[in-house]
Amino acid sequence: MDIFSQLLQGFATAGTPINLLWAFVGCALGTAVGVLPGIGPATAVAMLLPITSQVDATASMIFFAGIYYGAMYGGSTTSILLNTPGETASMVTAMEGNKMAKSGRAGAALATAAIGSFVAGTIATVMVTLFAPVVAEYAVRLGPPEYFCLMLLALTTVSAVLGQSTMRGLAALFVGLAIGLIGMDQITGQARYTGGVPELLDGVEIVLVAVGLFAVAEALHAVLFEGASSESQNKLSRVRMTGSDWRRSVPAWLRGTAIGAPFGCIPAGGTEIPTFLSYAVEKKLARGENLAEFGKQGAIEGVAGPEAANNATVTTALIPLLTLGIPVSNTTAILLGAFQNYGIQPGPQLFTTSASLVWALIASLYIGNVMLLVLNLPLVGLWVKLLKVPKPQLYAGILIFATVGAYGMRQSAFDLVLLYAIGVLGLVMRRFDFPTAPVVVGMILGPLAEAQLRNALSIGEGKWTVFLERPLSLGLLCVVLTVLVLPRLLKKRG
Amino acid sequence: MGWSNKVRQSAVALAVLGLAGVLAFGAMDISSEAGYAGIGPNFLPWLVAAGLAVIAIFLGFEAQTGGFRDMPEAQADEVPPPGAPCWRGFAWMSGALLLNAALITSIGFILSCTLCFACAAHGLRQAQSGAPQSLGSWFSDLAVGLLIAAPVFWMFTKFLAISLPGLTRSGWL
Repeated sequence: MDIFSQLLQGFATAGTPINLLWAFVGCALGTAVGVLPGIGPATAVAMLLPITSQVDATASMIFFAGIYYGAMYGGSTTSILLNTPGETASMVTAMEGNKMAKSGRAGAALATAAIGSFVAGTIATVMVTLFAPVVAEYAVRLGPPEYFCLMLLALTTVSAVLGQSTMRGLAALFVGLAIGLIGMDQITGQARYTGGVPELLDGVEIVLVAVGLFAVAEALHAVLFEGASSESQNKLSRVRMTGSDWRRSVPAWLRGTAIGAPFGCIPAGGTEIPTFLSYAVEKKLARGENLAEFGKQGAIEGVAGPEAANNATVTTALIPLLTLGIPVSNTTAILLGAFQNYGIQPGPQLFTTSASLVWALIASLYIGNVMLLVLNLPLVGLWVKLLKVPKPQLYAGILIFATVGAYGMRQSAFDLVLLYAIGVLGLVMRRFDFPTAPVVVGMILGPLAEAQLRNALSIGEGKWTVFLERPLSLGLLCVVLTVLVLPRLLKKRG
Repeated sequence: MGWSNKVRQSAVALAVLGLAGVLAFGAMDISSEAGYAGIGPNFLPWLVAAGLAVIAIFLGFEAQTGGFRDMPEAQADEVPPPGAPCWRGFAWMSGALLLNAALITSIGFILSCTLCFACAAHGLRQAQSGAPQSLGSWFSDLAVGLLIAAPVFWMFTKFLAISLPGLTRSGWL
C-alpha cells in the first residue's frame, strides 16, 4: 500500500495547524467568491498570485485549491437564490434550482447541492488518489510528440468546442497565444515582442491578463450595460431534505459523479458538457410526478445530478493538471501559473520530485470537502447575506483587490495601466461574445506546447511525420480532428 | 442587427487583422535559427500571425453577411438587450482606474485605492439611477473605500509581506 502511506504522509503535512488554517481560509474565501457575482475562482486565485513570492509552495497550493473548489460550493448558492447564475459551471443548477426556490423549496435545493458536491467531491478525490499516480507513472513514458498532441487537444477543445462559435473561440485562443509569445523563447532564449522593455523578458504576468479579463472587464461591463437591471432574490427556506428528497437525490448524485468524473480526466475542458449531460440523463430517467416537476416546480434530481457532475469534473481536472501539466480550464491554468511561480513544472515527475507537496494537496482536498460541507450547510444563511452587498460597492471593492494583485506582483504602476487596457479588451470581447477562457489557457499552454513541438521535431530530425509514426500521437491527432469535425456534422444533421 | 452592428463587427474583424499585421511585422525581426527541429523561434509567431489573419477574414465575412454567427441574442425569448450604454459611468470608472495608476506610488496604496473606490462607485451609482449623486454618497463611498483599502493594505503588507506603496514609511498609511 504505497499510495496509502503516501496519502497518510500527505495528511500529516496538510493537518498541521498552519496548513489547516490555510485550507480553511481558502475554503471560506472560495465560498465567498463563489457566492458573489462578478468574481469567480479564477479571478480570486489570480489576484492572490503575488503571495507565491512569500508563502511556501505547499501552503499556498492548499490555499488556492481551497478557493478553487470552495467556489463550486458557493456558486450553487447564487444560482439557486438569484435569477442570474454566478458562473457557467452553475448554469444548469440554476435551471431547476431557481424553480425549486421559487416554489419555496430553496432549502432542499441548497442542501442537495451541498451534500451532492460533498459526495461527488469526495468520490472524485478518491479517484485522484488512486489514478493520478498511475497516470503519472504511465505519462513518464510519453515523449514530446505525444505531449504536443495532448496540448493541441486541450487547446482545441477549450476554444473550438466550448462556447457559441468556433471562429470567435479560435480568435480568442490566438490572442492568448500571441500574448504568450511575448518574452523569452523557451528553447533558444531569444527575446520576442519585448520591444526592448526588460520587464517583458519574463513575459506578461498571468495576474494582469486574468484579473484584467475577468474582474476589470466585469466591472466595466456592469457600469456600461447593466446599470438599470435589477435582480430578484428568492426566499431562503429551512435547509433540510425530506425522505423522498434523499431517495431522489442519492442516485442522482452517483450518476452525476459517474458522468462528471471522466470529463475532468481528459483534456476536454469545461464543466458545461458534463453538467448538461447529467441534467439530460436525470430528465430522461424521471418518471411520473417527478418528471412533471422538471421546468415547473423544479425537480430535485435536476439540481443534485448536475451539481455532483460539476464537482466531480473540477476535482478530477486536477489529474491532467498534476500528472501532465495540462490545464483544462481557466482556474487550473492559473493554478499551473502558480506552480510555475515556484519554479515547479507539473508533470509526471511531480509525483517523485515534489511528492510531499502533491500528497499534501490531495489530502487537503479530503479535508477541504468536509470543511465546505460544514461551511455550507449550517452556515448558508451567512453566505446569503453576501448577496445583499449593493453593486456599486461590490464592483468598486473588486477593483481594490484587482489593484493588489496587479501591483503586488511586480510593483509597477505601469502594470495598472496595462490592467485597464486588458480590462477594455475583455469588455470588447464580452460585448461581441468572444469567450475569455481560451485567452488564458492559450497564453499559459502556448509556450509549453511550442517547446514540445520543437522538441518533437528535433526528435524526428525536422520531419513532421514524427507525429504520424507514433501510434499514440497519431491517435490523439485523430481525436483532435474528430473534436473539430463532429460537432459540425451533428449540427448539420440536427 | 442594424447597420451599426455591421460596422462595429467589421471594426472588430479589422482590429484582429491589425493584430495579425503587428505580429507579422514583429516576426520579421525574430531569427529563424532552427537547429535540429527545422523550425526556429520565429515559427510560432508567423503561425499565430497567419492564423489571426485568416480568422480576421472569416470574421469580416461574417460581419458583412448578417453578423457574427451564433450570437446569444439570436436565441429567441432571451432578456431584451439592456438600454443605452452609460458612457458617463464608464468614464468615471476608467478615470478611477487610471487615476489609481497615476497616484499609487506618490500618495500610497490606501489613499489612492480609496479614491479609486469612490470614483468607481460613483460611476456605478450613476449607471444605476442615471442621475447625479448627492454629496453624502461621496462621503459614504470615501469612508467605505477607506475601510476596505486600509485593512487590505495592512493584511497584505504585514501578514503576507507583499510590498505595496505607502504614503509614509511608517507602514501603516
